Amino acid sequence: MYTGTSIEIENITKRYKSAQEDSLRDVNLEIKEGDVFGLLGPNGAGKTTLISILCGIIPPTSGNVNYYIAGEKISESLRRNRVGFVPQEYAFYQELTPRQNLDYFGAMYNLSRKELVPRIDELLEALGLSKSGDKKVGTFSGGMKRRVNLAIGLIHEPSILFLDEPTVGVDVQSKNAIIKYLQETNKAGTTIIYTSHHMSEAEEFCNRIALIDHGRVIVQGALQALMAQHDSSSLQSLFIKLTGEEYRD
Amino acid sequence: MMFKVFSSIRKEFLLLVNDKVGLTLMFVMPLLLVFIITIIQDSAYKIVNENEIPMLVVNHDKGQQGDKLLALLQESRLFKIDTLNNLPESDLKKELLAKGKMIALYIPSGFSDGLESKAGEVSHIMMTDLGLEHDSTNLKNKPMPALSFYRDPVLQENYSASVMGVVQSYMSVIENSMMIERLYADMDFDATSDKLKDKMISNRVKINQVVASNSNSVAVPNSTQHNVPAWTIFAMFFMVVSLGSNIVKERINGSFLRLKTMPTSFMLVMFSKMSVYVVVAVLQVVVTFSAGVYILPKIGLPELTIPDNFPAFAAVVFMSSMAAVSYALLIGAMAHTQEQANGFGAISIIIFGAIGGILVPTFVMPQFMQFASNFSPLHWCLEGFYILFLKGGSWHELKAVMLFLGVFILICQLCTYIKLRIEKII
Repeated sequence: MYTGTSIEIENITKRYKSAQEDSLRDVNLEIKEGDVFGLLGPNGAGKTTLISILCGIIPPTSGNVNYYIAGEKISESLRRNRVGFVPQEYAFYQELTPRQNLDYFGAMYNLSRKELVPRIDELLEALGLSKSGDKKVGTFSGGMKRRVNLAIGLIHEPSILFLDEPTVGVDVQSKNAIIKYLQETNKAGTTIIYTSHHMSEAEEFCNRIALIDHGRVIVQGALQALMAQHDSSSLQSLFIKLTGEEYRD
Repeated sequence: MMFKVFSSIRKEFLLLVNDKVGLTLMFVMPLLLVFIITIIQDSAYKIVNENEIPMLVVNHDKGQQGDKLLALLQESRLFKIDTLNNLPESDLKKELLAKGKMIALYIPSGFSDGLESKAGEVSHIMMTDLGLEHDSTNLKNKPMPALSFYRDPVLQENYSASVMGVVQSYMSVIENSMMIERLYADMDFDATSDKLKDKMISNRVKINQVVASNSNSVAVPNSTQHNVPAWTIFAMFFMVVSLGSNIVKERINGSFLRLKTMPTSFMLVMFSKMSVYVVVAVLQVVVTFSAGVYILPKIGLPELTIPDNFPAFAAVVFMSSMAAVSYALLIGAMAHTQEQANGFGAISIIIFGAIGGILVPTFVMPQFMQFASNFSPLHWCLEGFYILFLKGGSWHELKAVMLFLGVFILICQLCTYIKLRIEKII
């Protein structure tokens, strides 16, 4: 039953072929419209696997994922049109310019030339890439590449946006610009699902979180409520309290 | 949809024009190879094609028969003869190698005397057997002369045997003619009967040579007709360095996975890649073949004759291009890194080229290597061009080539699909 939910994740389990254990086990989550939802957890917890399933890159072993946009459950083909994905890798063409990359990926999202031209200009401007729009991405700094990566995920103005570590390895200025633009995008109505190891950034950015460890959801809910519930002054102390202090591979 | 297809093809085109190393390998390399290898091989091919074998003749004979043999060899137009009568036989080997001639013939002094002596002996035996009186006082009993045939060690055994066969055949003409003349002289006829001489010497069984070709063209292989298609095919398959590494890059950097989240078919991506690279392969043919037609003749090399059957020519070019593109896709799908794709791709093409007769024509290879060549896609592409250039190229003759290349393309595409499916990219 629709209750203002963007994504409904029901009993998702994933075991890769030849793996001894499940990467995800009975994951149930509810991501609401307008959320900035943080999927947090130590290395190997299963965050990237979950995002890959939610984006349709890999199928779950069992369980269901339902998508809703403006109250309507949407089909697989519509989901592909309305969902944006920003992977951790620089998943674009370094030999091309940001404008050429955006033009190509925009066309793959079924945008017309007429729609693309102003949208590309808008994104380049918003992410501080206007002056470098016609230079090859291969010559860019890490921060600029991250912004190009983000722009591609936003080219079609998605209703739901998945971000896998969008600020890893970038300078403070780029990180600030990325988070600021994402907050504006969220205010404009885009639901954001985000993974990060930067707890302070997540604390500032997310309104709801789920902590995943060993393929299971430990807690989920409103960030402030969870911190109060577990008597933690920060997200980092909550994270350590719930996942432990031992090293993870 | 059209804009999507256009954008996808445009992206592939932009990636290609940004790949300077790949473009150099695909367009400059075949031109250089065609020029260099054609120039190097031209003289060797001329030996086979133009029936003018460079031959050095040293004639130390004081009589007429040495000159007669020389005249017959010259009249045959099989040899380009260079005479050096003052050269001692001991220096002949050195001179042969120094002058770049493939063969040399040494006619010893006393050659005519020896032949005349033999003719006299034969005539004497015949006259005696027939019980006819004749003058036997002028029998010289000179030893039978021996010609010496020198050959370059690189010249194949069967080839030098053929040349020796030609010399033997001319020697038979001279010896038979001398015997008849001597017999007539011993019988006190003033002149030999031309009719008998003609019947015995000249009127021999003719052998008609028919070129097994479907067209009126009787083009024989030359260095251009081997090297231009051969190195073009080689360069076509070398696109593995550009296309193969492109695919690896897209697999590794997550572009393919990103595309999987988008409302687009992966088939469109593959179709765009194949379209762009098939066009590149066709352009390679246009560039290299144009050089064969317009530039090679200007530097003294044989001109490339374009086949009459243009649809068959287009079909061979298309199937060869598809085979090259499909192989590059397969390498791109299988390799884990760009280094693997480049290294394995390039080395495999060199091996396929060597087996397939690109470097050295298959007919000079040992039997088992000729069998192995059937497993090289480059061999079948080259075979297709040979059928077009040298045999007139009918569809019937091209059937085996098309079938093999079709199967090769299917296998490559299928393996690529399975590998990308395993990696969850498709």
